[in-house]
Amino acid sequence: MDNKKFKILAIVDAVIIVALIVLMMVLKGNYNDQAQASVKEQVGAFQESANGVLQELWKSVDQNGMAWKLVYATITGDKTEKSFNAAVKAIEGDQAARFKQLSYVFTAAGIPPKVQNDINEKGGLADKFLLKDEGGVKEVACGKNCSISFTFAKGKLKATDYKALVELNMASNFKLEAPAEFHFE
Amino acid sequence: MNIKNIAIVLTVLLVAIAAMLLMQKGNYVDQATEHYNKTTQNTFKATSKIVEYVGNSIDVNKMVWALACEGIQTAKSSQDMAKLEAKYFPATKGSNSKVKMTRHFEASTFYFIDSKFDKVDTDKKTDVWFLNNLSSIDVSALLGLVTPAATAPSEEEEEYEE
Repeated sequence: MDNKKFKILAIVDAVIIVALIVLMMVLKGNYNDQAQASVKEQVGAFQESANGVLQELWKSVDQNGMAWKLVYATITGDKTEKSFNAAVKAIEGDQAARFKQLSYVFTAAGIPPKVQNDINEKGGLADKFLLKDEGGVKEVACGKNCSISFTFAKGKLKATDYKALVELNMASNFKLEAPAEFHFE
Repeated sequence: MNIKNIAIVLTVLLVAIAAMLLMQKGNYVDQATEHYNKTTQNTFKATSKIVEYVGNSIDVNKMVWALACEGIQTAKSSQDMAKLEAKYFPATKGSNSKVKMTRHFEASTFYFIDSKFDKVDTDKKTDVWFLNNLSSIDVSALLGLVTPAATAPSEEEEEYEE
């Protein structure tokens, strides 16, 4: 090749190099924004599902505490349907006592108050307790996949079945799926 | 440097920049993936630990509740309570207080109950005293109404291990 051709090649190279550098700078900004947005979105989605598990656990422990309190109040009380109904209302209505009892379980587990308050603020206490009240048979929630029953006949307690409370394996009901693979979108 | 050398250097530089451009996205993907994995793994571990620890806490809690519920329905004496304790917690024993006429059973510093009896009797065969006529069981600790550290029995308290 003669010098003229090398000159043309050098000029073309220089132009392409400048274009590539400009392209690189533009893409750098785009990739950076894209990476940040993707990470934020996918980390946020995973944290949301983790928070969901903790909020559900919180509600479940709340129901569990209420259920035990109700069982104890029922077997140590006058065993009438009227007292039972009053106890259900009183236990469910006393949100401060519920928080105290459930927070105690979390504190016993070594969970700091700040984390507990955070879970409570986001999810709140359980909104269901008495699940069924038909023909003297009352079913009460005692956590996720857990219910106990009380049977009344002519206003008097005939049977209490709280086996589910004793056999409950709380942790097995709350499994957080491992994070999915990251996708750069 | 003549034009030939300049052209060659620029061509090499062009190839290098093109290669860098192709690798640029990969670098961002790697960085983002690393940050994502680190953050989500931390959340995953922390959440799983909370579930596990609360599950363990509930496991002890439920057994003490079950003990209190069965005790208040079936037990009469501190000996009956001792048998129930052994059923639910084979490795842990409660202790009687003759002065207070109570039996303290502590599954953990957080979970314990105090059974209240009406009188002190003596076993005619063994000549060992025991508490009789169970009147109530204090489940305050299970209701979260106590501060664990303040409830441990004091050393001055009269105790009898059954």
